[in-house]
Amino acid sequence: MEEQRLIDLEHITKQYDGVTVLSDINLYIRKKEFVTLLGPSGCGKTTTLRIIGGFEMADSGRVMFDGQDISALPPYKRRVNTVFQKYALFPHLNVQDNIAFGLKLKKMPKDEIARKVDYMLDLVNMKGYGKRSVDSLSGGQQQRIAIARSLVNEPEVLLLDEPLGALDLKLRKEMQLELKSMQQRLGITFLYVTHDQEEALTMSDTIVVMRGGHILQIGTPKSIYDEPKNAFVANFIGESNIFSGTMVRDELVHFCGTDFPCVDSGFGEDKPVDVVIRPEDILLVGEDVGQVTGTVKSVLFKGVHYEMMIDAGHSTWKVHSTTMQPEGSRVGLAVVPFNIHIMHPMQEESAQ
Amino acid sequence: MTDFQVPIWGYWLMGIGLAAFIVMLGMYIRKNRGFKRPLFASPYVLWLVIFTVIPCLLVAYFSFTDPAGNFTLDNFKNFWDSNFNARKAMDQEELNMYLSMGLTLEDLGLARNSINIDTLVFSLWMAFLCTAICLLLGYPAAHIMADRNFKLGPTLVILFIVPMWMNFLLRTIAMMSLLEDNGLINNVLEMVGIGRQKLLNNTAAVQLGMVYNFLPFMVFPIYNVLNKMDYKLSEAAMDLGCDHWHTFYKVTLPLSVPGVVSGITMVFMPAVTTFYISRLLGGGKISLFGDLIEAKFLSTSLQEWNVGSALSLIMMVLILLSLGLLRRVDPEGEGGGMV
Amino acid sequence: MMKILKRFYLGLILLFLYVPIVVLIVQSFNAGESRAVWEGFSLTWYGKLFNDPNIMKSLWVTVSIAVLAALFSTILGTLAAIGIHAMRKRPQAIMLTLNNIPMTMPDIVTGISLMLLFIFTKVERGYVTMLLAHITFDVPYVILSVMPKLKQMNKHSYEAALDLGATPMYALLHVILPEVMPGVITGAMLAFTLSLDDFTISYFTTSPLVQNLSTLIYSQARKGIKPTMNALSALMFVVLLLLLLLVNKRSSKQE
Repeated sequence: MEEQRLIDLEHITKQYDGVTVLSDINLYIRKKEFVTLLGPSGCGKTTTLRIIGGFEMADSGRVMFDGQDISALPPYKRRVNTVFQKYALFPHLNVQDNIAFGLKLKKMPKDEIARKVDYMLDLVNMKGYGKRSVDSLSGGQQQRIAIARSLVNEPEVLLLDEPLGALDLKLRKEMQLELKSMQQRLGITFLYVTHDQEEALTMSDTIVVMRGGHILQIGTPKSIYDEPKNAFVANFIGESNIFSGTMVRDELVHFCGTDFPCVDSGFGEDKPVDVVIRPEDILLVGEDVGQVTGTVKSVLFKGVHYEMMIDAGHSTWKVHSTTMQPEGSRVGLAVVPFNIHIMHPMQEESAQ
Repeated sequence: MTDFQVPIWGYWLMGIGLAAFIVMLGMYIRKNRGFKRPLFASPYVLWLVIFTVIPCLLVAYFSFTDPAGNFTLDNFKNFWDSNFNARKAMDQEELNMYLSMGLTLEDLGLARNSINIDTLVFSLWMAFLCTAICLLLGYPAAHIMADRNFKLGPTLVILFIVPMWMNFLLRTIAMMSLLEDNGLINNVLEMVGIGRQKLLNNTAAVQLGMVYNFLPFMVFPIYNVLNKMDYKLSEAAMDLGCDHWHTFYKVTLPLSVPGVVSGITMVFMPAVTTFYISRLLGGGKISLFGDLIEAKFLSTSLQEWNVGSALSLIMMVLILLSLGLLRRVDPEGEGGGMV
Repeated sequence: MMKILKRFYLGLILLFLYVPIVVLIVQSFNAGESRAVWEGFSLTWYGKLFNDPNIMKSLWVTVSIAVLAALFSTILGTLAAIGIHAMRKRPQAIMLTLNNIPMTMPDIVTGISLMLLFIFTKVERGYVTMLLAHITFDVPYVILSVMPKLKQMNKHSYEAALDLGATPMYALLHVILPEVMPGVITGAMLAFTLSLDDFTISYFTTSPLVQNLSTLIYSQARKGIKPTMNALSALMFVVLLLLLLLVNKRSSKQE
């Protein structure tokens, strides 16, 4: 494992005017991995990216790259490239000069530059746009050029700072798939910053969930979705029902007025816990066979499923189901033990 | 006096300042582990300190010292009493002797003489008069040009903006040549039979020159505010039953106050500080505060840098006060001081 | 009726502002020495102007100082604007306030304070001190012209250049500068014009031996106006007017 690590952040901290934006960040990124930093705005994800890019200096800690300390290297000496939020294409240069910018700095022969630029234009599906001015391109096209401008330098890591944030939904979905396939074809490590959990789940090999300058959880999309470490992660990644309950003993939890069997243990006895249940994991059963019973408060049709809000056990449950129960009807609810996730209750910032 | 000795601490201070600048620069680079964009401003920071901050401090330094470099408040006392130094210079015993002989201070020409304060008061009065005339002439002009139905307005405003940037000296000379004994006006007067008049070298000529120079500074900010004002406001006022006159002084006038205040400061400040207008149109007979300062520094017969500095300091305080007043009334700079 | 009255009033005011200038210019073409009689169109005074060694020397001083001051203040000011733009809020506010001082202070105070600096540092007043003074009052205007262009720029452009391997100097010259160039040119033109235009600050920072056109005109005018001075003033008027219109047009186009 150890030799595969390309980037290693060690105890990174950063403050702006006395406000801590990163506290003791430890993170490593493997070669050819697609890693996403995910979190709400102000969580420190962009700052982390900028520290790796060399635009910000960490107050303490080290940035290791391929086994070397690059903390003091300026951006232009780092073997990483960045795709900026609003593209930052150079308006006084045309498309091909934008792409060739880095290559010219490397004093590459002209014909080779031309060859590489053409290849890149092809790669991002922008063939024939080389002479166009940057301002004449649409947002999506500018995005492609920004990616080409970075990739042409063959960076070992590509840093992407919410690169799709300015695009509309449909274009964003297309670009997500394209970026992913590009990354796999070229075999480059991607470090991607976004606040869009769906984007993160679709594209990443590894997701790093951040909040308030801390890393809350690192894992594959599936493990983060299925085994969120705490209620914040659960809530941020997909929709969740979060109840506060009590651990009666190992593998038995009490919430919403009922004891539920579960698979977690080791929380102690009569200890307060957070209980997280995904809406699609709640089963609608007959009123008499449910673990709890409740009344359907509202029904929304969501395309693939119905979303129902059900009052049961003095709480409101959000339930996703393909079968619809009419408003006002009495239903029984059941959850299999495997789908009940028990977590230590969230105490602010004590998660680490 | 002409051979000014730099105090030894002056050299020390300069050396220490330069060293401090270099050390701070080094610390900044170290802290950021490399070059950061704010460093592009460092040459100008050094420039600002040497050519703006230090000169301002020097004005203060010279104000509070005597020619030998000792601390004194005499420059300000002297401001109230021009003969202060002369009286001090005379041996006290000698003075007592004269006084005991029955001569008065007036006889000795050593009475409390207040050229400075009189000049300041006269200067303020001239500036005030100039401001008032500019306001009376300028407000209607700005109001006419800001009228939405007056299509030529925006073009004509340029004719008011251009002189604002133009060399006052040249315009003063143009006015001077017009008023001269054999200038155009006198020729016209002679032709119509009134005969030549002495038009130059009096207070009125100086006042005319000031109004002529500074009028655009009153018109432009007022025009700016009136022009940006929502014309629907006055329409609403008329809709609510105001006639033209009421609409003007109930709606338009109060809303144009920021422009008026901006205009007042922009006229008043240069009017207080001018020296060449009074020198050229007053023929050296009319002395304003600016002339006084200029004389203390540049007249060959008396070079009283310390007194001059004190006068400049007083002027700076006056300017800061009026700028503070402007900030208060027009915090967003709506009046648009600059073009 | 009201309308005619209004226009008449406006006409009077403009007449008041422009008649002296126009008369001055017309008189400068008068063949005779007297201002009283029109003796026909002639360029006599302009010819004398260019044969007067004093005036020619002052012209050289004025133009060379304007060019040098514009050059140095543009370099200094553009760098400063880029630096100030990238600063954090507090130092930025301090810098902008300091930068405003030379613009808000009356010229006479600026002139005197600089004069005291030269007295204090024992630098003999003359060409160099005048140049230094001109640079000092030009830079703030250059900064003011460049700043808006910087604000329009994508804030990551500079970082993108570094990211692609450019050194700060290369990024400055090949990315930032081309983008803010229109503002830099306006700033340079403004600096040049203001330098040509200045009288008060030059007056206090030079010696009687080194005069620019403004101080020369002033010292001559104190003794009464000669026709050559008329011609010189008229010439300066026209040049300055054209420059100012040009600068104004440029800066309003940029907004």
